[in-house]
Amino acid sequence: MSASPTSDQVPVTVLTGYLGAGKTTLLNRILSEQHGRRYAVVVNEFGELGIDNDLVVDTDEEVFEMNNGCICCTVRGDLIRIVGGLMKRRDKFDGIIIETTGLANPAPVAQTFFVDEDVRARTRLDAIVTVVDAKHLPARLADSHEAADQIAFADVIVLNKTDLVTPAELEAVEAKIREINRFAVIHRADHANVPVTDLLNQGAFDLDRVLARVPEFLTDDAHEHNDDVTSLSFAVEEDLDAEKFNAWIGALLAEQGADLLRTKGILAYKDDDRRFAFQAVHMIADGAYIGPWRPGEKRESRIVFIGRNLNRPRLRRGFEACRA
Amino acid sequence: MPGLSAHVSSADHILETRASSHDLGAHVVACAFAPDGSAGFALGDGTLRIAADAAWTSIAAHEGAVLALAADARGFVTGGDDGKLQRIAGGEVTTLADFGSRWVEQVAATRTHIAAGYGKRVAVLDAAGKTIKTLEHPSSVTGLVFDAKGKRIGASHVNGASLWFVAAKTDNPRKLEWKGSHTGIAISPDGENVVTAMQENALHGWRLSDGQHMRMSGYPAKTKALSFSRNSKWLATSGAESIVLWPFFGGGPMGKAPTELAGGDAAFCTFVACHPQHEAVAAGFSDGMVVLADIGSERILPVAGPGGRGAVTALAWHPDGARLALGTETGFAAVVDFSKQ
Ligand SMILES: [Zn+2]
Ligand SMILES: [Zn+2]
Repeated sequence: MSASPTSDQVPVTVLTGYLGAGKTTLLNRILSEQHGRRYAVVVNEFGELGIDNDLVVDTDEEVFEMNNGCICCTVRGDLIRIVGGLMKRRDKFDGIIIETTGLANPAPVAQTFFVDEDVRARTRLDAIVTVVDAKHLPARLADSHEAADQIAFADVIVLNKTDLVTPAELEAVEAKIREINRFAVIHRADHANVPVTDLLNQGAFDLDRVLARVPEFLTDDAHEHNDDVTSLSFAVEEDLDAEKFNAWIGALLAEQGADLLRTKGILAYKDDDRRFAFQAVHMIADGAYIGPWRPGEKRESRIVFIGRNLNRPRLRRGFEACRA
Repeated sequence: MPGLSAHVSSADHILETRASSHDLGAHVVACAFAPDGSAGFALGDGTLRIAADAAWTSIAAHEGAVLALAADARGFVTGGDDGKLQRIAGGEVTTLADFGSRWVEQVAATRTHIAAGYGKRVAVLDAAGKTIKTLEHPSSVTGLVFDAKGKRIGASHVNGASLWFVAAKTDNPRKLEWKGSHTGIAISPDGENVVTAMQENALHGWRLSDGQHMRMSGYPAKTKALSFSRNSKWLATSGAESIVLWPFFGGGPMGKAPTELAGGDAAFCTFVACHPQHEAVAAGFSDGMVVLADIGSERILPVAGPGGRGAVTALAWHPDGARLALGTETGFAAVVDFSKQ
């Protein structure tokens, strides 16, 4: 598999978030600030009304399991058809924005862009943007899995309605988000006032930018709860053995893929001067060489997991055992 | 341009000597022949281009892209991403139905009925264009076809297909079930078999007499075109480096290997259309090549050579079997006449 983007691949931004968090306000802001660029917007039938755009596609989210029937290996059949239809008039727009329903799990949307050959050929998933409401997020996290999943999947989080909470509440909610996903970029906002340049063309799923934002070293001080979504990262300075890594990650995804929401890694294989980039959404993985280590860049292998039931010592031992 | 023709490969000989062709400048979504013999090409720019004799005309049919095309008793019927079902006849556009924000992704027609798929629903209209019923499905309709007699409608969707009687008073479909996402459908002309294309590069079939399941797999890509030969013996399919033909006789397709014609390794077969009378199939490829293959003799007649025209996205035969319409993703279109000379 190869995931190197080409210029004719249309960028796709996925917008998730609960009803009332400010998704529609954000969407209208993106559309109104676009200075001549045009977007096709895919909305669902339960969405908030009032999207000001001339190319709006109304859809039912149709999630189905792939042939092995695994409950986490799901894709959006409606998106496959819509992307196919939009490509017949592709000269008319520059990007696609997909708004999901408030309660949607983002995995099927993301997996659609890994799994379907036609969608992969014509589009590239740019980033998952999640809008959360600073005031109501703690309650949402307490009463549903989906709120945590939407944060876990996000590349960009718009922490909206900050004007409705005290500074202390804002710190607490941001800390809660960081506990789930330490790798997303968080933008604080009220009335969804985030610059469009912080939302579009993020390249978050481009393999060569997969870990661009991961700090060189992270102190792992987060505590783990069995049912909470958490994020972990590990680094290994010695080169890895490609076969050992493939065997380990393959077995891990097969066994625990349902719990692993997102996995990303940049790997240094023995006797190879190129960086290998790896990413997965649940069990569905993708990887490619992405060019040489840059001058001054530390040659080491790093991997990030975001998910549930992460066993830190076991994952660390597994990763370290891939050393050549 | 005599200076250019000397350089065109002999694979284009038929295109040069027996075709009227045109660069239409937009993705050819589908093509069909109307009862008056004109060929219609539905385009991604919302127009229907009509080739009558050597004259090509353009009609604005939809606001966005045309997504589906069929020929009915009076002319052409199109579905678009503007939610409209349009009839184009005698140079006039008439709106038969407006489904609002829903795309009309599927259209099929006979001399007496029109069926249009939008979301999970299929509207059935009479020849005058009046909606006579609406059929509900468990998920979006991905393929829509009438049987050869025009008595039944088949619709593919997630977890199988539904088979409806057009004239039934009470609307309960026969449900053909198989888990997974089904993305297209064909009914054999003898009415014995239904076959669907599936998301995971395979076909599924049901023998209607006893409900026997049939599984046809091994494709390297998704099958987008399914076409039965007129005598129902062969199912021609796209999705491989050759034209893949499954035998529906002698106990097949179960336990039988398909026949593969016009195989190479440079391109994928992207569209197929069986000849309306003979055991022959027209096939288009991702490199723009179009061939006519005689199934029995396995003889291949090149119609259009590869290169420069984009992947073939549409093929249709005139019912008389003498003319073939073809179109590509870059907007090349032609009507080939096999009868004259
Ligand atoms: Zn799975
Ligand atoms: Zn905690």
